[in-house]
Amino acid sequence: MRGYLLWILCVLAACQRSQTADTVLAEESLPGADISAFGPPTLSSYGLFKGELKNLEPSNGVYPYEINSALFSDYAFKKRFIFMPSGMQMKYHKAETLDFPDGTILIKNFYYPADFRKPEQARRILETRLLILEKDSWKPLVYVWNVEQTEAHLEIAGRNLPVKWIHYDGGERSIQYAVPTLNQCKGCHLKGDKVAPIGPSARQLNRIAAVIGKNQLVHWKEDGILADLPDINSVPQLAAYDDETRDVASRARAWLEINCAHCHREDGPAKNSGLILTAEEKSMLPLGIGKAPVAAGKGSGDRNFDIVPGKPDESILLYRIESVDPGVMMPEVGRSIVHKEGVILVRKWIEGLAKTQ
Amino acid sequence: MKSNFFLVASIILIGSCTSPNKPARVFRNIEHSLQTQLIAAHNGDTINLPEGNFMFTKSLIMDGKSNIVIRGMGMDRTVLSWKNQVEGAQGILVTNGRNIVLEDFAVEDAKGDNLKVSDTQGITLRRIRSEWTDGPRPENGAYALYPVLSTRVLMEECLAIGSSDAGIYVGQSDSVIIRNNKAYWNVAGIESENSKWVEIYGNEAYDNTGGILVFDLPGLTRYGHTTKVYKNNVHDNNHENFAHKGNIVASIPPGSGMMILATHTTDIYDNDIINNRSVGAAIISYELVAAINEGEETSDGALGGAQTVNNNYKSDSLYNAFPYDIHVHDNRFSNSHWFPSLDSDIGKLLLTKSFLNPPDVLYDGVSDASRPDRRICIQESDELTFINLDAGNDFKGFSKDVASFSCRK
Repeated sequence: MRGYLLWILCVLAACQRSQTADTVLAEESLPGADISAFGPPTLSSYGLFKGELKNLEPSNGVYPYEINSALFSDYAFKKRFIFMPSGMQMKYHKAETLDFPDGTILIKNFYYPADFRKPEQARRILETRLLILEKDSWKPLVYVWNVEQTEAHLEIAGRNLPVKWIHYDGGERSIQYAVPTLNQCKGCHLKGDKVAPIGPSARQLNRIAAVIGKNQLVHWKEDGILADLPDINSVPQLAAYDDETRDVASRARAWLEINCAHCHREDGPAKNSGLILTAEEKSMLPLGIGKAPVAAGKGSGDRNFDIVPGKPDESILLYRIESVDPGVMMPEVGRSIVHKEGVILVRKWIEGLAKTQ
Repeated sequence: MKSNFFLVASIILIGSCTSPNKPARVFRNIEHSLQTQLIAAHNGDTINLPEGNFMFTKSLIMDGKSNIVIRGMGMDRTVLSWKNQVEGAQGILVTNGRNIVLEDFAVEDAKGDNLKVSDTQGITLRRIRSEWTDGPRPENGAYALYPVLSTRVLMEECLAIGSSDAGIYVGQSDSVIIRNNKAYWNVAGIESENSKWVEIYGNEAYDNTGGILVFDLPGLTRYGHTTKVYKNNVHDNNHENFAHKGNIVASIPPGSGMMILATHTTDIYDNDIINNRSVGAAIISYELVAAINEGEETSDGALGGAQTVNNNYKSDSLYNAFPYDIHVHDNRFSNSHWFPSLDSDIGKLLLTKSFLNPPDVLYDGVSDASRPDRRICIQESDELTFINLDAGNDFKGFSKDVASFSCRK
């Protein structure tokens, strides 16, 4: 009898094994498409940095900058620069991004320190994204760094790069970092039907920059590269979502703006959802408060409203920023893990909404 | 003898445990070079997809192209799968295009929507199979074929299977033809939402929760009207509803052949509407949907949700919550079921209101009192089972009299 049982177990075990998963073969190339028309093949050919490329030491005409609240990109660190053709100026704009002169290049380098607790030490740069203003139209390009960190090559169709680091808590993390395709660049950077920068608005730039030790807008004005800047006290300022001296609402709205509102705005790609998450949005319904979803599918998580005041765990918005399921998560691209600090902040904000209603 | 027994028994056992599973497939990986081709494509190009199975891990995106054809070798010979998707919600995403044709391939198992087309002028989806291959499950993505915010949309000879929302869907679009497609195992087989100048004909929708839906919902960028639904075969749409709560299709009762919600200028004729157990064709207002949601909210003890739904659509001045200029005529109804599905409030209501005889045509009777000129009319055979719920007046005017809705008045 025991023999029978053993035999049945063996057969069932064999049957377990026989349910083999689908196989995916190694990557192969179709007859290639020519990408040389998109831009120069290497980052070094722009001459944006002097000395060793990996030191990201800006050349003349290349200015470092920071923003108040940055998009979450799987905890990647970012070093930002603006290149402007010599003798040209940016112009102040109250609500939108600054007015940049033709030939401007916005430069964003994505990197991971080996140990987040020592960010100035060893690091690996993964990609450099450029937004180039040519004849009044912004062109996005992506350069992927080699392992040796000596050069970055033009890439239009994205790449997955394995990356690991020691997190703030001392634990080791590893992810598949996703370099975007050119289409995905547009997915976020589309405003109406044109590609546009997202970050460098006066509201975002209005801050004391660590590298220069003073307000960078004022500094640029003094340097003669920023025109029309009014009294700095009258310039609007977006909260830094991680600035704990600010109130939760301003911080949460700033986080939602930079992480969501590039699509969730009146002229953004997610306009069909009716959910508008710019920090200026004042009305309850567009902001998602008591708003039923339109085409959320399983993204609703069986919850009824985008935001239920006081009830983060009944709010679709929270469900989606807490998820890493590609069919559920928001934003749809640009992250593979949860921004823990952001989720805590938005949760706190939704909890507090009940009292103010 | 004994060893023979073991041999035979082993074969039977192994056979029985593997047979329900689909055979494992071998997938090639051309993801990076195909995405490069789509980005680098010149206007006017034809991109030929080879025969075989191909696995993708992120959305395949084509943006801002004109006059492009993407052509496979057939819906069972060229298979694109997103079973291993780690990034992006869609399988294929086409945006800001002009005159794009996608044909003769299959799209499978994306996390969100299998094939989405947005902001495109001129899109043809032809002989595309779009499927979630593990059958109808709530885990499946929302839409199989999903053109939205587009014009000149043609979907023909496609096959949609397993959507947790709608299989063949068009939303916020105009000038749309949906013809000769097949849809099964979806919550909604075919759905036109907030779209205008739409023709839906020659399709077969079966084994969905609802067969064909024409909906107009509040709070969107544009509203629909003028739809013709004819020569479709809408049968046996009795599948349980596996949509996610909060989505509008979650309120469709299993066993709904057609549902016309809050739209106007719509002709339903010459269709075969067979064996949909709850209702053949329902014509309802958004008020009824809101009221149903209201009950749900109260029982959940949650925030006054339905109130919000109400406030929502009532504050949308461009939205009309009442169906009108709906003509239902010359269809062929039959229903061998005696009981409606009891999985929904509407179903339970039908059981009490039309005992042992689920209606061929149901009208919720909720209309805009200020616009008596806005009518619906029904002209069917004498055997038609009709119900006017008069839901706006607590069913006081409940009636089975179809004569007052005659189109000949």
